[in-house]
Amino acid sequence: MTAAIPAIALVGNPNAGKSSLFNALTGARQKIANYPGVTVERKAGHASFADGRPMSLVDLPGSYSLTPASPDEAVTRDVVLGQQAGERRPDALVVVVDAANLDNHLCFALELIALGLPTVVALNMLDLAERDGLTLDPAILSRELGVPVVPTVAVRKRGLTDLLAAVDGAILSHQTQTTPQSAPPPSDAALHQRARAIARAATLSENPVRRWTQRVDAVLLHPVAGFLILLALMFVMFQGVYAWSEAPIGWIEGGIGALQGAVDAALPDGFLRGLIIEGILGGVGSVVVFLPQILILFLFILLLEATGYMTRAAFLMDGIMAKVGLSGRGFIPLLSSFACAVPGIMATRAIPDAKDRLTTILIAPLMTCSARLPVYTLIIGAFIPNTNVGGSPVGLQGLVLFGLYLSGIVGALVVALVLRRTLAKGTAAGFMMEMPRYQWPRLRDVGIALWQRAWIFLRRAGTIIFVTTIALWLLLSYPKVPTDSRESQVDYSVAGRIASGLEVVVAPIGFNHDIALALIPAMAAREVAVSALATANAIEAGDDEEAMAQSLSERLQGRWSIATALAFLAWFVFAPQCISTIAITRRETNGWKWPLFMVGYLFALAYAAAGITYWTAVAFGLG
Amino acid sequence: MNPKLDSAQLGVAVRISRIDWDQMSHDEGRRLREFGLMEGIEVTPLHRGSLFSRDPLALAIGRMQVIIRARQAAMIEVASTAP
Repeated sequence: MTAAIPAIALVGNPNAGKSSLFNALTGARQKIANYPGVTVERKAGHASFADGRPMSLVDLPGSYSLTPASPDEAVTRDVVLGQQAGERRPDALVVVVDAANLDNHLCFALELIALGLPTVVALNMLDLAERDGLTLDPAILSRELGVPVVPTVAVRKRGLTDLLAAVDGAILSHQTQTTPQSAPPPSDAALHQRARAIARAATLSENPVRRWTQRVDAVLLHPVAGFLILLALMFVMFQGVYAWSEAPIGWIEGGIGALQGAVDAALPDGFLRGLIIEGILGGVGSVVVFLPQILILFLFILLLEATGYMTRAAFLMDGIMAKVGLSGRGFIPLLSSFACAVPGIMATRAIPDAKDRLTTILIAPLMTCSARLPVYTLIIGAFIPNTNVGGSPVGLQGLVLFGLYLSGIVGALVVALVLRRTLAKGTAAGFMMEMPRYQWPRLRDVGIALWQRAWIFLRRAGTIIFVTTIALWLLLSYPKVPTDSRESQVDYSVAGRIASGLEVVVAPIGFNHDIALALIPAMAAREVAVSALATANAIEAGDDEEAMAQSLSERLQGRWSIATALAFLAWFVFAPQCISTIAITRRETNGWKWPLFMVGYLFALAYAAAGITYWTAVAFGLG
Repeated sequence: MNPKLDSAQLGVAVRISRIDWDQMSHDEGRRLREFGLMEGIEVTPLHRGSLFSRDPLALAIGRMQVIIRARQAAMIEVASTAP
């Protein structure tokens, strides 16, 4: 019995060009979800045969064999064996192999062919193999493997029609004959020997070295020059994230302001207008403004990945990360965390070692994400004089900002060191990775991936942030202060009363009522602290015209001591004030244990850091 | 004692003569075999570490390049490929 639409799975080694082939076959018609119960992305899409009959395609995570080494690889095995819950066993497999790496990729291909499903081998990236001086005979390969072999160049859409025709043929011929499956699985060594023998038979001529890649690596992996180039790239990346995002952030802010103005004009004063303007547009808008920065950072990361450089970066960083018990694999997630810890934590899925991965997740929030910047900028601008250090061209404000970034990184390394010796104890994390060749990134593949990241981010802003912002707005707006009361609306509201309670706890580290009040809504997202301070100050100023004319930073200067301001900065280096990060940690660690631990240890560090900063500053006469 | 891969000269091809499978974890051993690192295979160490460390090690195996840690390379005995 066959279902109406045949299901076809793309399966193969990492770096075989599977995703490019999937993109070429399905176009942008893709659906990304998670496999139920596990945090492995399921990429599915549709395509059609030459005569128009539809088929569904699923892109399985890259694997080296049917014996899984990570949750991703386990999904691949379970799907092809028909054991994945909620997933139909595929009607046919397209095994994607890199034409230039047959020795290795044929091992997995042989394992898959032995399953007895209708199978077609896509001999992918044939153009790159030819560039490397390799001439292959697909006919010999097909004869040796016993399944159709179709040469493809996914990125140029070459061979796709032939591939789909071969899949169609394989399904048809499979229905008329049964394939006997009884032989025991061969050993790794036997499998490799057979793979090498087939690869040799199918290779007509070859030129032994990959000169181009090796010549580039001589520079990019040079122990000194390579490291400096990596640092320079990181520098350009962070400059780009802040410099190029200014204009689009302005457009988004302008757009939100215009919407608020339109709602203000269209609706009568009341609950609904307040909710939409302050709650929804103000709250969700304060998160959406980070989209440009996140997209620029992701563009860099996707380009570095698509060219093959990211593995080199991991190679260069591995030595340092090994010293605190992590591996080079953790470099990419931690780098992403400078934009936002949420995609960073999602990127830890590529780390095979469970303890290594857990440690990387737990320290990701210590990387200075873009949400901290509004807080840092406000406080530094108000309290740190805009002068140079000594007679040097180094500005004091910039130095303080750099110090805050550095504190986060040093804090993360120390925490990793401690965790790897205590809670996440284990053997030294391994680091085994295939190093792909260099390639020009394909705009189409990068574009699709960038769009998918943007969509995931916006969907989160539309759900979690949306709900928490409305809840916080309600807490700040109700109950309404009686007209004859001398208290402000903020102090009278539920949130204001909670702040008075919280003030008792944070007073010993130099925090005042302003800060206690700002910290509560900032639980949703750090940058909300800034808007909360602004709102509270605006309401406090009331009808006092002189106070109204002052900017927020001027008012803060009058109300806070320098010691309090510094303590506030130190607090935000560590404090886990981000609902999204906590939620994604819960999802990625499958439970509440680790997110609760993370929140606990980060608040403890934040409290200690703010306290030490405050009392040190007071001792120096800055209180 | 035979030379080990972790101290082999960069850029010079060597043949793997013995791998101490018992010293490594099951997963480690399997991943090595999946990369094609087995007895009798020729490999060329290409790059070793960066500024602050001599770890990890990048190797060429056939047309593939892989990265392993020095700790694993120390469990791999190699011999010269010269006849």
